[in-house]
Amino acid sequence: MKTAQHFGLLYVAMTVVQIIICNCFHLSAYVTLSLLPVMIFCLPTSIGTILSMLIAFVTGLAVDALAEGLIGLNALAAVPVALIRRPLTMLLFDEDVIERGESISFRKYGAVRISAAVLICQAVFLGVYILADGAGTRPMWFNLARFAASLGAGYLLSMAAAAVMLPDEKK
Amino acid sequence: MQRRKGISIITCAAIFIVLEVAALSMLRHSGTMQNLWISKGVHVILANVWGGTESVRYYFSLKKKNDELADENFRLAQKVRYYQMVTGMDYATDINTAVDTVGEYRYIPATIVKLGNNSQHNYMIVGKGYEDGVEERSGLITSEGAIGIVDAVGRHYSYALSFRNSGISISARIGRTGPVGPLDWDGRTSSGAILGEIPHHIRLTPGDTVYTSGYSSIFPPDIPLGTIGEARVVNGATYEIQVSLFEDFSTLRYVTIVNNIGKEELEELEKE
Repeated sequence: MKTAQHFGLLYVAMTVVQIIICNCFHLSAYVTLSLLPVMIFCLPTSIGTILSMLIAFVTGLAVDALAEGLIGLNALAAVPVALIRRPLTMLLFDEDVIERGESISFRKYGAVRISAAVLICQAVFLGVYILADGAGTRPMWFNLARFAASLGAGYLLSMAAAAVMLPDEKK
Repeated sequence: MQRRKGISIITCAAIFIVLEVAALSMLRHSGTMQNLWISKGVHVILANVWGGTESVRYYFSLKKKNDELADENFRLAQKVRYYQMVTGMDYATDINTAVDTVGEYRYIPATIVKLGNNSQHNYMIVGKGYEDGVEERSGLITSEGAIGIVDAVGRHYSYALSFRNSGISISARIGRTGPVGPLDWDGRTSSGAILGEIPHHIRLTPGDTVYTSGYSSIFPPDIPLGTIGEARVVNGATYEIQVSLFEDFSTLRYVTIVNNIGKEELEELEKE
């Protein structure tokens, strides 16, 4: 069972990985890889929406400051993910998950539900990110292609990150 | 519990907005294109907010606008009456005549403050009284017709009998030079009236306009009242003609009170 302290270290490590990805892995103009949505989704359910929005904002700002040119872009896209995290958990998993402060795990809820949650978080993040990054200057087809490619690539990366971040009850 | 949940949702929404605005503000200062894009969005939002505010303000100022328009309308109507009199009747006007007086009639703009519209004895309360120059047996008119007669006058308000009252009759004429007869409400419909005592040798054309005759001491002549419809012979001697009134009594608000200045002299002569 991962402790809160363990999760905190893991979260910081994931932030560092995200900064490295942003600085070193420019696959294409169509692909934006981001671990932020899954990191926010994997925050313990005992953390409320307000605190998770603040964590998302600070993490996004850290990535912006240490990796990308546009300050505020990741923060702008990460906060909506934190806002929908708890309603999404209640919708896709159990309504009591939040009240009991229970952890979400692959073993208990299965990969399909977690995949759905990760996809929705990624979609919200990428939607805001791509729109703000394009700033109305790029054509719609480019934005849609970038969204689809980033969602596909980000999904695979996010599922790997979720496997690391979410508790495994077998242990 | 429910209230706590509501407060929690409002707090979340407020913090979300604050964080997003902070992020947008930082983004605006870090990229030229983002600066333009966000400025454009802000302008659109501000335009909508200002437009909405302006619409609400305009809506609440409509009553004042209506009153101003009614005043302006009254002044224009006075001018029209004056020019009609000068050009049509060809007699000199008294230069000392008050601004609200044209020929033998004095006109006072007024609003209806209460309207009884659902019985056989309909009435109106008008927002002008004897302090404003209103007298008993003054007429109430609009551009669409004669609508009532003042029955009692208070200091600031007057009580008038509506034309849609079984006791009211107006002297009316078919066309501007046709036969004259009394016009009464038909007692059933909101826009129906009966014009009686029209000699049956007169040729009638449905659609002809009925005007006030000017033979009563209350209403000036040539106010359009309605159009004639079907006619039937009564007692083998006269026509009883259905008239469709122009005025919509359910939407009455702005009226003109009309006083015949020489009314008392006329009544004295009649008594003698």
